[in-house]
Amino acid sequence: MTFIGEFDLVHPLLYPPGSVVLLLGNEAIARGAIEAGLGFAAAYPGTPSTEILESLADVAEHYGFYVEWSVNEKVAFESAYAASLCGVRSLTAMKHVGLNVAADALMSSAYIGVEAGFLIVSAEDPDMWSSQNEQDNRYYGLHAYIPVFEAYSPWEAKELVKYAFNFSEKFKHPVIFRSTTRVSHSSGPVKFDVVPSLKSTGRFVKDPSRFALVPAHARKLRVKLIEKWRSICEEVNNSPFNKYIDNGSRRLIICCGTGYGYLMDCLKILGVEGKVNILKISTTVPAPRRLILDALGGCDVALVIEELEPILERDVKAMAFEEGVECEIHGKDLIPLIGELNIDKLIHGVAKFMDVPVPSNFLNPLKCNIEIPTRPPTLCSGCPHRASFLELKWALAKSGVRDVIFAGDIGCYSLGVDEPFKVQDIMLEMGGGIGSANGLAHASNQFIVAIMGDSTFYHACIPALINSVYNKSPMLVMVLDNRITAMTGHQPHPGSGFTATGARVDEVKIEDIARGVGVKCVETIDPFNVKDSIDKLVKAIKFVLENRTVALVNSRRACTLMVVSNARRRGVRIPRYLVDLELCRACGICYNQLSCPAITPMPDKKASIDPILCFGCSVCMQICPFNAIKPSETPSKDWEEVWRVN
Amino acid sequence: MHSKNILLVGVGGQGILTMGRILASSAIRRGVKALTSEIHGMAQRGGSVVVHVRMGDVESPLIGIGMADAIVGLEMMEVLRYIQYANQKSILVINDRIIRPPMARTIPTKNQIISELDRLKLKYVIIDALNLALKAGSEIAENIVLLGSLIATGILSEYIEITDVENTLKEVFTGRALEVNLKALKYGYDACRQHVNENI
Ligand SMILES: Cc1ncc(C[n+]2csc(CCOP(=O)(O)OP(=O)(O)O)c2C)c(N)n1
Repeated sequence: MTFIGEFDLVHPLLYPPGSVVLLLGNEAIARGAIEAGLGFAAAYPGTPSTEILESLADVAEHYGFYVEWSVNEKVAFESAYAASLCGVRSLTAMKHVGLNVAADALMSSAYIGVEAGFLIVSAEDPDMWSSQNEQDNRYYGLHAYIPVFEAYSPWEAKELVKYAFNFSEKFKHPVIFRSTTRVSHSSGPVKFDVVPSLKSTGRFVKDPSRFALVPAHARKLRVKLIEKWRSICEEVNNSPFNKYIDNGSRRLIICCGTGYGYLMDCLKILGVEGKVNILKISTTVPAPRRLILDALGGCDVALVIEELEPILERDVKAMAFEEGVECEIHGKDLIPLIGELNIDKLIHGVAKFMDVPVPSNFLNPLKCNIEIPTRPPTLCSGCPHRASFLELKWALAKSGVRDVIFAGDIGCYSLGVDEPFKVQDIMLEMGGGIGSANGLAHASNQFIVAIMGDSTFYHACIPALINSVYNKSPMLVMVLDNRITAMTGHQPHPGSGFTATGARVDEVKIEDIARGVGVKCVETIDPFNVKDSIDKLVKAIKFVLENRTVALVNSRRACTLMVVSNARRRGVRIPRYLVDLELCRACGICYNQLSCPAITPMPDKKASIDPILCFGCSVCMQICPFNAIKPSETPSKDWEEVWRVN
Repeated sequence: MHSKNILLVGVGGQGILTMGRILASSAIRRGVKALTSEIHGMAQRGGSVVVHVRMGDVESPLIGIGMADAIVGLEMMEVLRYIQYANQKSILVINDRIIRPPMARTIPTKNQIISELDRLKLKYVIIDALNLALKAGSEIAENIVLLGSLIATGILSEYIEITDVENTLKEVFTGRALEVNLKALKYGYDACRQHVNENI
């Protein structure tokens, strides 16, 4: 998806060979895979990886490969991996923490190896722009004996993906392609090459001694793996993506991934271009030993630049030690360990290493003297989660339940962590809310509410729900079912009723799953119907208190952002709500307790609704104790209709 | 280093990502290297959003502190939030609009913001993008209005012209959306030209 998807005339991935197109890094990765003859792709969304599969899905029909949004990363990995075993070139993509979910399969895949090229794209998030940690998955490569390649830009990403597919197929081994936010979500010019004919189905040729990891087979495969790894270690020395620039200096900078682009710009800013030797590495795991030793050989001092962990740095230091190379090696002593790299962070270490001053703009930036309030992300106006949270809190109060732990999870609803809701007391990882709720329910005397989104429910909550039935964990499970994976940009899931490529399918219903695994109290609410929702929530809370076991409430209402963009596209009028200032008593319930961004207090504390921000959910009208809020017009039939998108 | 650095700032939902891509695409169609960098996910939910656009002889996507040639602000407070990217030569193109963060207790007034820009001796133009967008036909076209204003400052004249942006819009939008955006671009361009003429 570039620009605003619905207005696209030509999809960026469909331009003819020879075109130079502005591509997002993720689209460049997708294009690289297409130019490598991709036949199968499976992923689970997660920032910053999402647009890889999203853009592949857009053009799947055109090129004839298979694409799916899988239920989670483990299944995505296993599906794509199996396609490779059938001789079909395949790819799986996920955010860095997604690889934790798929790690079990990852480890085994190295023992078995692959048939056709198989690429695991790990899109990582240094600085945690949209993530709960900044783990560096190059460690997974070392851990599993799987090579990890990294690019510094969209144009390099496309080429490196093609190389990685060939590499994988040559060694019959999986390859991890590591991207980071500033590659995945940067865009730049990318030149298109021809798309070869592809194979989207093949044949699985049975060979249990290789494909079935019983201990007897695994022991033999482990020996083979180590042999294979030795030849991979040799081969990376020949990669055209590792580049040595000899400027006849006694200083050397070794860099990998994004480090290269920032370094080149820093050297220009410092006016020391061409004054240092540079070894640019794209095959970080395993590090190209021969290239590194050759480059170190002629130098007195070296600096290793890499984002996050000192993985290459440790390798370089070990090599120098083993070979007795007399070179002083710097790395994380000059380059920050925490957060992403950028010019501002690199300039200091590079200037010090090059023995030149840091330009003054980096030392004395302009400073604003007035206080600017923070602007944390918030739930959108009209978001059904906001209504659900309010109803949940009111229902708990109505039931006389005060001491509550809200076991939260990951999605848009994580924003409920802040005032005024504060309904995310724990947030561990996807599925972690209901999992920890099981423990909380038995290890504390507090009332437990587990909150999760619909996509999160399918992803990793079902085993924990079964556990809560099996082990009788008293808790209220509240699913916020906005019909889609909203946080990552509206990807469909098993409950949405359609697939990645838009094909209609039967919905897998949350209520059916809950009843199927034995939950005895299952309710469905519409959060835009406040009174009825509170009544049903009260009923479910009572059930938990009386029966000391689990109850589930599914709060079902489509994501407002998605509905509003559909409404705009179809020219459907959005009914706006207005405050009758005669009736408003300035109680503040609408702007304090509902805290909708469209509603602000005026100087006299009466409410005012911004007609541009109001998306017509009507919840403020329903909760106003003085009937002071009214629609500006009767909502049309078409408006009711757009809410039933899926 | 021959390059231009444009920082786009505002609030999630204002179309800042689209703006960055249209700007970069317009450069690329002229054979100029252009890079953008954006943040998706959490940051788009009404949070503060910043997009870096770099053109010319550049290898990495993020602008250094004090190195922005222009800052385009779709919201006034956001301009001050990222003011460290500006320098005395930068041009600021600012939407005449304040969006209150929902839970903020106090926010600065427009006058306070403008005096702060004056204290820092910065060059700026203030554009009423919302009204121009509404005049063009849609409240969501503020981004394109300001894109027109940015072009009118002349800061990018060695790389792109207004017609390049128009051509990009024609490649991205059709029908009514195209009509609205072409108008928005022109209104923003004209409004800024008027300012530039008055002030020079
Ligand atoms: C293991 C893992 N995979 C993916 C993500 C990225 N991610 C964050 S929230 C989310 C899903 C949110 O969807 P949903 O549960 O439906 O809630 P919504 O955002 O729609 O409210 C995803 C996929 C993640 N954080 N961890």
